[in-house]
Amino acid sequence: MNCFMFPGQPLSRSDRLPEDAGWCQVVELCRRHAGFDPESWRGEEGECGGNVALQLYGVAMSLYGARLLAQKGVKPRIVAEHSMGIYAALACCGVVAEEAALEIASRVGRAMARMGRTRRYALGCVVGLTMEPLLVVAENHGVYLANRNTDRHFLLSGERGRIEAAMAEAVASGAFSARSFPCDAPLHTPLMAELEPELREVFADYRYQEPVIPLMNHIDQELLTGAEIAEFMLRELRLPVQWEQSYRALRRAGVNHFLEVGGGDSLKKYNRWIDSQSSRS
Amino acid sequence: MSEALIEPVKQLIIDALRIEGLSCADIDSDAPLFGDGLGLDSIDALQLVVAMEKEYGVVVPDAATGTKVFQSVRSMAAHIAEQRK
Repeated sequence: MNCFMFPGQPLSRSDRLPEDAGWCQVVELCRRHAGFDPESWRGEEGECGGNVALQLYGVAMSLYGARLLAQKGVKPRIVAEHSMGIYAALACCGVVAEEAALEIASRVGRAMARMGRTRRYALGCVVGLTMEPLLVVAENHGVYLANRNTDRHFLLSGERGRIEAAMAEAVASGAFSARSFPCDAPLHTPLMAELEPELREVFADYRYQEPVIPLMNHIDQELLTGAEIAEFMLRELRLPVQWEQSYRALRRAGVNHFLEVGGGDSLKKYNRWIDSQSSRS
Repeated sequence: MSEALIEPVKQLIIDALRIEGLSCADIDSDAPLFGDGLGLDSIDALQLVVAMEKEYGVVVPDAATGTKVFQSVRSMAAHIAEQRK
């Protein structure tokens, strides 16, 4: 049984972009419906900064990847998503069209970019600490757990100065590595509640069909129904991604073949780590 | 001593990171493991730390040591040889 995994925002763009007709079609959709060109890396003036561009590039790469797999006759038995991977996952499951997936991602990304104009936020990637000392670090600096990817790979989120201080303490506490990355908004934290009224209206602008493929959510690993999609997209902005729980739930459901659909291979690497730890215990 | 560890270290990298379609001969002993070389990242680094400890009983105690150890296959082999003395 296979699973298509849709990753969140990539940290960078690939040096090489696809050149085939399928990619050109996705690029055109992205231009028309998201106001961003993943080839020229140009967007609507003043509104498509670094993170919005990367978010839309990530969605475009995932949509393209799903198209490629479909052309090869590979169909998912179940779909899972990580963070902003939800938008491409919705298209893959037939919940919304590709155009709508790009448009929603664009509207969410631009709302987050506006949030970042008045305050500075960052993500902190911590590798090697266990959960307990990590949460102490987070509490000491007033930042939040944003991703629990494995028992040793976490993402913190919050105000930039606090994240930078938290990274220093994480290293002092024995983290193998701790790096911060500027971001527009403190995704997957309670601080995102500020955007909720605006994004509730955004999500209400679309009709959500029942998923034609089971779609597991990354918060509590339940399968989403069409009626739950809009509320889930709001909730997931302020709650942490639980990737390890999702992977284990997928395994328990009988998945034995995972395909990461999009740029990068971080989800595969998390899965590899979880498997290696399971075989040691 | 460390020269004899070059090939086993390459195999350890392939096995621990489940790199498909790559043989030991494809890995340059002196190429950087991160960035432009094999393109590894911090997720891979922690996987290699655990694999080295399991296979050779050698620890990489912190990120600073890791930066030196994971410069290349040759530096990994040298670290293992040094720690096993």
